[in-house]
Amino acid sequence: MKRNVAIISVGYNGRFVSKRPDINIPELIQPAVDTAIGKTKLKHDQIEAYVVGNMHTFEGINQPHLWASDHFGGSKKPVMRVATGGSTGASVYQAAYYHVASGMYDVVMAIGWEKHDEGDAQVGLMGILLPEAFSLFNFGPDMSEDRGVAGLGGGGSTGGAAFQAMSYLTKAHAGIEHIDRVAAMMRSNAAKNPYAHLQQPGCTEADIAKTPIISYPLRYGHTCPTSCGAIAMILVSEEKAKKFGITDRVAWVKGLGSGASDATTGNIIEGQITDPAEQYMCKVVAKKVYSMAGIKDPRKDIQVAEVYSGFSHQDLMWPERLGLVDEGKSPEMLDKGAFAIDGELPLNPSGGVTSTNAIGASAMVRVGEAALQVMGLAEGGHQVQRKIENVVAHGWGGLFQFVTVTVLGRTPVKK
Amino acid sequence: MAQETRIIENTWDLTAYQWKIESDALDLFVKGLKDKKILGRKCPQCGTVYVPGPTYCRKCFRDIDQVVEVSQEGALDAFTVNLADVKGTIVEHPYITCTVKLDGTHSFLMGVLEGWTDWRSIKEGMRVKAVWKDVTQGALADLSHFQLTEK
Repeated sequence: MKRNVAIISVGYNGRFVSKRPDINIPELIQPAVDTAIGKTKLKHDQIEAYVVGNMHTFEGINQPHLWASDHFGGSKKPVMRVATGGSTGASVYQAAYYHVASGMYDVVMAIGWEKHDEGDAQVGLMGILLPEAFSLFNFGPDMSEDRGVAGLGGGGSTGGAAFQAMSYLTKAHAGIEHIDRVAAMMRSNAAKNPYAHLQQPGCTEADIAKTPIISYPLRYGHTCPTSCGAIAMILVSEEKAKKFGITDRVAWVKGLGSGASDATTGNIIEGQITDPAEQYMCKVVAKKVYSMAGIKDPRKDIQVAEVYSGFSHQDLMWPERLGLVDEGKSPEMLDKGAFAIDGELPLNPSGGVTSTNAIGASAMVRVGEAALQVMGLAEGGHQVQRKIENVVAHGWGGLFQFVTVTVLGRTPVKK
Repeated sequence: MAQETRIIENTWDLTAYQWKIESDALDLFVKGLKDKKILGRKCPQCGTVYVPGPTYCRKCFRDIDQVVEVSQEGALDAFTVNLADVKGTIVEHPYITCTVKLDGTHSFLMGVLEGWTDWRSIKEGMRVKAVWKDVTQGALADLSHFQLTEK
């Protein structure tokens, strides 16, 4: 890329919660925008362009931006809207990055949100399954008892992930207790993050193991909540950052990328060839991003990881696929405490997606949290205390096949 | 503010959806099922065997038309155990959905798993074979389930 880009500010609307019946979507977004701007010396009118997005169908309100642009200050300014499912937040952020890196703009705001209490996320997710389900109806599937429903969908969203979880556990020679353990760690990390949704201080493996099985090996305690919340970030060019005199406490975008493999889990129409736990493209994208960031050994040069895990087994899987841990070794790393906030590779100090999931915000929250860690500004005790040079943030969408990876660091890459 | 809940009764007529996704892969697949055969397509360039078999290879990005009949036995891949029915009632005999890699194929075929007594002892890699309905009619339901052939 032509120019270096820095994230200079990250703002949330407040704590992520299940329901906000007292406010509407523009009102949810506005405090995040004001917080992000308030942390800098910038004024609203210095934001040159906006990239915004949420995942409409998961929320139930179509095109909420129609009212929102006035409320985030986007009226009569360049505004781009992005929606890419689970990876929406990362796509919004990446589009904002390109706005600046390309030289078109110097100061751009990225906003991601979801107000899940407006609709039903599971109904929205059904919309993904419907084209496949309806086409299968033409080929005489077994609809007796539960066979039709469970067979077609693989048991819904959790069912799809359950295949991936089972495949991962087999490859890593791990058991459901490892998923319980990592889930408990995320909920107790969340208790140190004042913005996290499900905060359970001192949550234990036994607490998680008490929750019912949804689709073995996944339990209720392994799944993400549906949250309401918004995040806003300000991205500026290196020149502008220098001009503003803000080059301290910023997070430089050192590398980023995205990729796709074929649809996994239940692609019965065309013959599914990819194991959902393999994640070949995550490995390819991560490698490319590390090279862009000038990172030779990610295990030495990256100190913290924020990965996108809608289900807890993914908290073990992604660090391996991102090249931070040997394949199949995450359970061991977890057991020796390496993933703890004070461990050798802190994993999701924020509590991750299984603690907080406002879908259109979530993948950007990973980047935002990575930025806060680099800046040393993570609040409430979830700041990693050891010296941080680089942090990796990750997101996924679709049927596990779209991945995004970003490396943020303390110093910009030399051009 | 008092919480107000309204329940609106409605029906969802699935037959209202008259459109069809054309699928050469599924057309071929169900045609084979009628004769208790499992048919797929093979890419002559990379050798990947797809079941159901699309008319293009996703690896080589080229058209493929070589129809192959594949083995009815294979190895269990991943599976998920549904301990309750869709209404949440715990069931006596859990319902297991699985993916199977039939011998000589490279794709994961989804199905129902039977032939087990304790689901906790099921492991990836166990041998399975296809079990048919007595009367087949050229529909996905013809392939009743996959049966474990080892304990």
